[in-house]
Amino acid sequence: MSDELSVPVRSEADLVTARQRGREIASALHFSSSEQTLIATAISEVTRNILSYAGSGELKLSLVQQGRKMGVSITARDNGPGIADLFSAMQDGYSTSGSLGLGLPGSKRLMDEFGIVSEVGKGTTVTMTKWKL
Amino acid sequence: MNRVRAPVLKLGETLIASVQEALMDADLVGLRDELVADVKRYRATGVVIDVTVLDVLDSFAARTIRNIAQMTRLIGARTVIVGIQPDVAFAMVQLGLTLEGTETALDLEDGLALLDIQLGRERRV
Amino acid sequence: MTYEKTLLPETLISSDEIGQRKAFLEFADEDVARLESVNEVAIRYADAVIEDFYRHLLSFEETRAFFSDPDVLVHVQRMQKAYFTRLTQGNYDAEYVANRVRIGVVHERIGLPVKSYFGMYCFYLRSVMQRLQEEYKDRPERAFSVFASLMKLTFFDMGLATDTYIEARERTIQSQQEAIRELSTPVLLLRPGLLLLPIIGLIDTLRARQLTEQLLRAVRANRAKVVVIDVTGVPSVDTKVANHLVQAVEAARLMGALSIVTGIAPDIAQTMVRLGIDLMRITTVGDLQSGIEEAERLLGYTVRRTGDGAPPLAGVQP
Ligand SMILES: Nc1ncnc2c1ncn2[C@@H]1O[C@H](COP(=O)(O)OP(=O)(O)O)[C@@H](O)[C@H]1O
Ligand SMILES: [Mg+2]
Repeated sequence: MSDELSVPVRSEADLVTARQRGREIASALHFSSSEQTLIATAISEVTRNILSYAGSGELKLSLVQQGRKMGVSITARDNGPGIADLFSAMQDGYSTSGSLGLGLPGSKRLMDEFGIVSEVGKGTTVTMTKWKL
Repeated sequence: MNRVRAPVLKLGETLIASVQEALMDADLVGLRDELVADVKRYRATGVVIDVTVLDVLDSFAARTIRNIAQMTRLIGARTVIVGIQPDVAFAMVQLGLTLEGTETALDLEDGLALLDIQLGRERRV
Repeated sequence: MTYEKTLLPETLISSDEIGQRKAFLEFADEDVARLESVNEVAIRYADAVIEDFYRHLLSFEETRAFFSDPDVLVHVQRMQKAYFTRLTQGNYDAEYVANRVRIGVVHERIGLPVKSYFGMYCFYLRSVMQRLQEEYKDRPERAFSVFASLMKLTFFDMGLATDTYIEARERTIQSQQEAIRELSTPVLLLRPGLLLLPIIGLIDTLRARQLTEQLLRAVRANRAKVVVIDVTGVPSVDTKVANHLVQAVEAARLMGALSIVTGIAPDIAQTMVRLGIDLMRITTVGDLQSGIEEAERLLGYTVRRTGDGAPPLAGVQP
């Protein structure tokens, strides 16, 4: 038995699915509609990064519990090129593709917890959590 | 490219693009190309992009929409984005998206009225 | 989707959490086996135990009140019997948990006090203990170990039901607080298209978020074009508060509404500039009156001060 849901990320259609699944899990947890939108937006950003920079990867949505606190956790993993300069990648406006450079730092603002691990040549994993207050 | 997901209507000198459902990136790009071509073809002076049905507007979508507005403006049409929902607006600002330099209005009706005022047109009733 | 099975809207218990709860009670496989081994005994005694149980319940006014409707009584008795036999059927999985939680929710909804709920469990355990003693007259240690396993399981159930109780209460309180907070900051429609949001009191992140959401919904509901946010009543406007204000203003603009912030004291404005807050991104006007006049100008209303012979706020320009 697991409370985890996996969404493969290969094409843009998966992006829509990922956002929908995120909303479903968040609404099961009684997140408000605006919080659901925050979660879906962060999912959209990290999923899009997988598509743009790694080509494909996987998204895991899971339910987390700490004591009586519940939350949604999202892990976006790929085996793409990795990020050489993580510090810069987390700055507003930094982009190697000429786009807005708000995906990573913005998702961090949308969620309560945000972590990123990346190794050049190996891939990138972003983990983020939103807690139900 | 852009067939059903964002039909473009012509109303006088204004083009109205109504986004119908969660747009794929290719649709947005298609919409941009179509609008640019239509503005030229019909000598449109105003463009309204209606995003009422979008429940998420991420940085890619925001950038594309801003691009469309800038491009249509360069070729002589003012562009107004209408229909951003409260939850979506809230998430956008937290993400850091403010659509600077683009006009916004509450909905299609307000967007058309705004264009009329800006372009000094007679009010349609 | 697996989470739908394990999750209930009322109480959300993950499978990790179920495991942790069982571990803390030291509820192990041998307990499961022991309980399963007395299933046949339980079925035999079910009717008698339930009967005892309801005799007890109905002999107290406070609990009797809940079963005044005979149809309800019959239904609940049937449920109780199912529950009683379920206790010795093994498989204490997510579905089992979901059922326990549901029962907690029902009890909360009908307003059965926790003391009655606990008291019922106590009576229930005692009556089962008696039956076990009779059944295993010659093997008291057997009766004891089965009873210990049953106790673990019933405490597991009580924990789930009690947490459900508490959670449901907390949700009620939370939504009441939200309602109070919304009332404490009214969004006023001054005239068509013009909203006033007078903020009074401290703004923390949570309140800022709630205020912004409230404002955005009001913008849509009232088709507002201009919003005046008055912070005269906010005791301290620091960087954080200012950033929240900027966000509210920007979000409103995305919906087509312009904002004017009034009531930021000059010294605070200076501090904010020193702290690097971009006040340029929001229109600030000294006092509320000027803010409203500015708003009306933006909306196309002309404003002539009294004393000029014309009434204030009069006239509409085409
Ligand atoms: N999954 C990934 N794999 C490789 N590089 C990534 C990944 N995600 C982000 N990056 C890098 O980090 C930068 C910042 O990402 P982001 O904040 O989403 O902005 P943007 O996508 O607009 O460039 C990207 O330009 C890219 O260089
Ligand atoms: Mg990105």
